Amino acid sequence: MNTDNCITLENVAIGYSGKVLLKDINFSINAGEFVVLFGPNGSGKTTLFKTILRIIPPIQGTIIYGDGHPTRFGYVPQRQFLDEIYPFTAEEVVFMGTFGQAKPFCPTPKANRDCIEQCLKDVGMLDMRRKLFSELSGGQKQRILIARALATRPNVLLLDEPITGVDVLAQKKIIELISDLHKKRQLTIMLVTHEVHHIPSWVNKIIHIHHYKVVLGSLEEIISLSRIDEILT
Amino acid sequence: MEQLLEILNPHFLLRNAFYAGLIVGFVCPQVGIFFVLRRMVLLGIALPQVSNAGIAFAFLLHTLGWHFFPHMESEKTMALTGSVVFALIAIFTLAILERKQKGFTENRIGFTYVLAGAVSILFVSWNPYGQTEVLSMLRGEIVSIPNFYLWSMFAIYGAIFICIIGFHRNFVIVSYDTDMATTLGKKVILWDIMLYLIIGIVISFGVMTVGPLVIFGFLLIPPIAARMVVRGILPFCVVSSVIGTAASFIGFYISYRFDLPTGPTDIAILCIILVLLYIGKILIRLKR
Repeated sequence: MNTDNCITLENVAIGYSGKVLLKDINFSINAGEFVVLFGPNGSGKTTLFKTILRIIPPIQGTIIYGDGHPTRFGYVPQRQFLDEIYPFTAEEVVFMGTFGQAKPFCPTPKANRDCIEQCLKDVGMLDMRRKLFSELSGGQKQRILIARALATRPNVLLLDEPITGVDVLAQKKIIELISDLHKKRQLTIMLVTHEVHHIPSWVNKIIHIHHYKVVLGSLEEIISLSRIDEILT
Repeated sequence: MEQLLEILNPHFLLRNAFYAGLIVGFVCPQVGIFFVLRRMVLLGIALPQVSNAGIAFAFLLHTLGWHFFPHMESEKTMALTGSVVFALIAIFTLAILERKQKGFTENRIGFTYVLAGAVSILFVSWNPYGQTEVLSMLRGEIVSIPNFYLWSMFAIYGAIFICIIGFHRNFVIVSYDTDMATTLGKKVILWDIMLYLIIGIVISFGVMTVGPLVIFGFLLIPPIAARMVVRGILPFCVVSSVIGTAASFIGFYISYRFDLPTGPTDIAILCIILVLLYIGKILIRLKR
């Protein structure tokens, strides 16, 4: 594994409209690491995630991206936030991943079309490419969104609750897929979840949001903290 | 058949109205797609009404001898300026309030619609002269379009169509997934402003040409009808424009053949197409 710092947060405070939600956030993610961001619902996981993605600016502190190398993010949002009124096919959703490099008034280059096909193959959805995105199952939608993130040719893949609300078999398949991508493409991966049993045992780092504090912890520590919380509530 | 050949004749007396209808039928659905997909259908009702108020206000000023710019004495130019200015002010105010999440969207749009409707009537009633002329323009003078106006419309709607096609990917990504667009380095606010600008211009120019009802119909009914039968965003865009253009063509022919007002005939044809597609979809589902 490469030990270059990929993302470093120094004394960062995050929140909306100047209102601080989490402060004194200090951690770094190394290139090639598999990191889980864990915390209960409403703890500020998504806000932290979006701050790292540069969607929301930090209120305080600095976020350093890479060691001079450009960081390209592959973003997998929570699928329920995507409106199903859009009549996109699965392939068109993946196609969006190439929009960052697309030039106005120009047709899609062959390299991008090949990339889309490869991404669909990598997530095992090539035969579903012509299906409407809205007609796919939860697990299939998640695979398509992962393919869309891959089409951005990322070096960091960030997934927001990718296995929430899908059946157990689909959960297992998605985790296997993410694990495969991590190994084969040597991607840095950050996965957000609010359920302890969604955390794979072999992750490199767990960032835990507990009582409005961001701490690094092991899976064992998090399981014990979660149990204490369960008992207390 | 004889009347159809007459309409297609390049020397046909009402050819400008026919061509203007086809332009509206072809371009408006491309803008309407974003109304439907962004769930802004109500805005499609309110904005033409605001545009109407702008026209009535401009006419009132014109009658009173005031002009937006020195030497602007043409009524149509004044009306167009009023229409564009009112539509753009309304759309940007609503967009800012939407972004700041002030109150409920439906309430804001409902209020805008009622206010615009009321002030339109007040501006017309305060106009000491030419109420008939103002009302005729507000209804949409589709039968008497001068050459200059047709060419201006062709240029403006053509430019808008080219913009929408050329920047289609940007408009789609900022509408569908703002966060993804940001991570791809898109300036979401700039693309939103550009889309709103296009919407404002299409509506204000269209209201001047064919009236608010017809513009509303061509913005919304073709995309709604197309969405029922297509798979994929590209066919959605193509079929929307095909439906709009076909309805405009058939509507003009029927209105000419049976001496009916063109605008409402166009809307009736659009509604018939929508209902037929819906029935067809249900029948196909039942067969499966």
